[in-house]
Amino acid sequence: MEITLLLNTSMLLTLTIILTPTLLPLLSKTYRNSPTTITRTVKAAFLTSLVPMSLFTYCNTESITSSWEWKFITNFKIPLSFKMDQYSMMFFPIALFVTWSILQFATWYMAMEPHITKFFSYLLMFLIAMLTLTIANNMFLLFIGWEGVGIMSFLLIGWWHGRAEANTAALQAVLYNRIGDIGLILNMAWLASTTNSWEIQLSHSPQTPILPLLGLILAATGKSAQFGLHPWLPAAMEGPTPVSALLHSSTMVVAGIFLLIRTHPILTTNQTALTTCLCLGALSTLFAAICALTQNDIKKIIAFSTSSQLGLMMVTIGLDLPQLAFLHISTHAFFKAMLFLCSGSIIHCLGGEQDIRKMGGLQKTLPTTTSCLTIGNLALMGTPFLAGFYSKDLIIENLNTSYVNTWALLLTLLATTFTATYSLRMTLLVQTGSTRIPTLTPMNENNPMASNPITRLATGSILAGLLISSIIPPTKTPPMTMPITTKTTAIIITILGIILALELSSMTHTLTQPKQGTYSNFSSTLGYFNPLTHRSSSTKLLNNGQQIAQNLIDSSWYKKMGPEGLADLQQTTAKITTTLHSGLIKTYLGSFALSILITALLTH
Amino acid sequence: LSKDLLPGPYRRTPEERAAAAKKYNMRVEDYQTYPDDGFGYGDYPKLPDKSLHERDPWYQWDQQDMRHNWGEPMHWDFDMYIRNRVDTSPTPVPWHIMRKHFLIFLSTMLIMFGLGGIYPTYRPVGPKQYPFNDLYLERGGDPNKDPPVVVHYEI
Repeated sequence: MEITLLLNTSMLLTLTIILTPTLLPLLSKTYRNSPTTITRTVKAAFLTSLVPMSLFTYCNTESITSSWEWKFITNFKIPLSFKMDQYSMMFFPIALFVTWSILQFATWYMAMEPHITKFFSYLLMFLIAMLTLTIANNMFLLFIGWEGVGIMSFLLIGWWHGRAEANTAALQAVLYNRIGDIGLILNMAWLASTTNSWEIQLSHSPQTPILPLLGLILAATGKSAQFGLHPWLPAAMEGPTPVSALLHSSTMVVAGIFLLIRTHPILTTNQTALTTCLCLGALSTLFAAICALTQNDIKKIIAFSTSSQLGLMMVTIGLDLPQLAFLHISTHAFFKAMLFLCSGSIIHCLGGEQDIRKMGGLQKTLPTTTSCLTIGNLALMGTPFLAGFYSKDLIIENLNTSYVNTWALLLTLLATTFTATYSLRMTLLVQTGSTRIPTLTPMNENNPMASNPITRLATGSILAGLLISSIIPPTKTPPMTMPITTKTTAIIITILGIILALELSSMTHTLTQPKQGTYSNFSSTLGYFNPLTHRSSSTKLLNNGQQIAQNLIDSSWYKKMGPEGLADLQQTTAKITTTLHSGLIKTYLGSFALSILITALLTH
Repeated sequence: LSKDLLPGPYRRTPEERAAAAKKYNMRVEDYQTYPDDGFGYGDYPKLPDKSLHERDPWYQWDQQDMRHNWGEPMHWDFDMYIRNRVDTSPTPVPWHIMRKHFLIFLSTMLIMFGLGGIYPTYRPVGPKQYPFNDLYLERGGDPNKDPPVVVHYEI
C-alpha cells in the first residue's frame, strides 16, 4: 500500500517541481525566473522522477490516479486521471534528462538572445504539455497536452519572428498538426459515443471498427510527420537548435507514436489498421531516407533522419509491438538530441554556417563535439551494443520473422541502408577531409555549458539501450530462433550502406557527376511534394475564398437576394401584366373566355 | 484623399484609361483592367499574378518585408502573394515533370504495397508432424495393417 503511495506522491512531486517556475513569479513580488533557475528546476525534477522509475523497476508498481472530476455533464465523467505505467514512468526520466541537457546547452547557445528567459519559459511550457500528454489516462487530458505541444511548437519554431521563412514554417507546423487533430477528435467522438468515457482502457469487443482507428492513425501521421503530412518537420528547422533538439527529435514528434502505443489495446483488434500503420511507416521511413541523401544543411539531414526513425517506430506499431516502439522512442531521444546539440555547437563555432559543403576537417579543431557526433551517428546506424542497437536490431529481427507485407519489409531494409549512407556522408563531409571553412574562424570547446550536456548525452547514447532493455521485461515473446542471415540482416545492410557511402565519396573525388539528374532532383527537392501540394492547394483555397467572399456573398446575398433580385422579380411580373393592359377588345374577350373555361373546368 | 485619387468605375475612353493609369502610378502600356462583369473591380489594375517571393530579396525596398515601394500599385490579391503564402516563383524542375515523377513514385509504391500484401513474407511453415506414424491408430487405422510412413520434414 505504502509503495503505491510513494509512487503517486513522487510522481506528483515531479510534476509540481516542473510547474514551480510558472507559479513562483505570481506568488512573490521580487522573484524572477532566469535560465539558470529553470535549468536547475528541470534537473531537480529529473532526479525526483528517478524514484518512480526505480519503484516500477524493482517493485513493479503501477497505478492509475483519479482526482477532481470536471462535472460538465452528469453522465459523462471527465476526471483528472493519471496513469503511471511502464510507459509514463520510463518516459519521465528520459524526457527530463534530455530536457535538462538541452536547457543547459541553450544557456550557452542562446546567450546573445535578449528574451532568453521567455525562450526558457516557452520550453518549460512545452515540457509541461508533453508530460501531461504522457501521463494522461483519458483522451481529454491527452488532448490538452497534444494541443499544448502543438501551440508551443508554433511559438518556438517562429521564435525569430522577424524572419518570414520562420513564420511560414511555424504556420506549416500548426496547419499540418491541425489536419492530424481531425483524426484525433474523430476518435474521441467515437469513444465518447460508444463507450461513454474518454478513459484509455482495454477493449472489450473483439473487433473495433476501422474508422476511429484511421482517425488515430491520421493523428499520428500529422504529429509524427509520416508521409503525407510530413513537410512541416524539415521546415521546423527554422527554429533555434535547442528547439529542434527538444521538440522535433526527442519529444514532440513521438507524441503521435505515443498515442498509438497508449491506445494499442483497441488497435490490436483490427488487422487492417495494423497493416496501414506498417505500410505508412515503411513508406515514410524510405521517403525520408531518400530525401536525406542529398541534403546539404546539417540540420535538415538530422531532421530527415528523425522522420525516418519515426517511420520505423510506426512500422513497429504495425508489427503489433508497442513496447519495442517505446524502447526505440527512448533510445532515439538520447542520440538524436545529442546529434542536434553537436550540430548546434558546430553551427555556433563556425559563426552560423549550416551548409556541410562549407565544413570539413573539424575533427582536429572540435574533438569532443565531433567524437560525440560520431557516437551519435553510430548509435543511429544501429552499431552493436550502442543504444540504437537494442531497439533497431530487435525491430529488424521481428520484421524479418513476422508475417508481413513484402514490400514494407524491403522498404524498411532499404531505409536502414540509406540511414547508414547519409549518416556517413554527414560525418565525412563535416569532420574529415580537407577543411572548407573560412580561414579566420575562432572556434573552441571551452565552455562547459556546451560540452557537458553533449558528453552526458553521449554517455546516455552508449548505456541507455542496455539499461532500459535490461530493466523492462518484454510483454511478448521475442523471436528466439532464426537463421544466421536473418539475425545479422541489420548489420549486413548497414555495412552495405557504409560501403555505398564510401564508394560515392570516392566517386566524387575522382569522377565528375552531372549537376542534375532525375533521381538527384527527386531527392533534393524532397520528392516534389512541397511545391506540388503547397502551391496548388493554397492557391485554390485562397482564390476560392476570395471568390466566395467577394462574388458569392457580396453579389448574391447583397444584390440578388436583396434589392436587385427583388427589382428583377418585380420587373418580370410587371412585364407580364402590362401585356394584359393593352386596351384591345380582343384581349378582354380572351380573358373573359379564359375565366369562364377555368370556372367550368373547376366546377365540373 | 480627394475623389480623383480613389478607385472608380470601369473606364471606357482611352483618355479616362490614361488618367486612371496615372492615378495608379502605372504606365499606360502596363495598365490592364479586370473585365467589367459586375463583380466590382472597377478601374483597379490587373497586375501579373506573381508572388512577392519573385521580387529581389537583396534590393533595398521601402518596405523590406513586403518587398514593396511607396506608391507602387498592390495586387488585388496581395494577401495571397505575401511571403507567408503562395509562392509562384519558377521551380528548378518544370511543373509537369514534377507532377509526373511524383505520381509515378506514389503509384509504384501503392501497387507494390498491394503486391506485397498478396505475396507476404513469413517464416517457412509446414504441416504438424504428429507422433505414432501421424496418429495412424488414433485416426481409425487398421491395427493389422502396416501404417504408411508419413514424414512432414526433411533431415
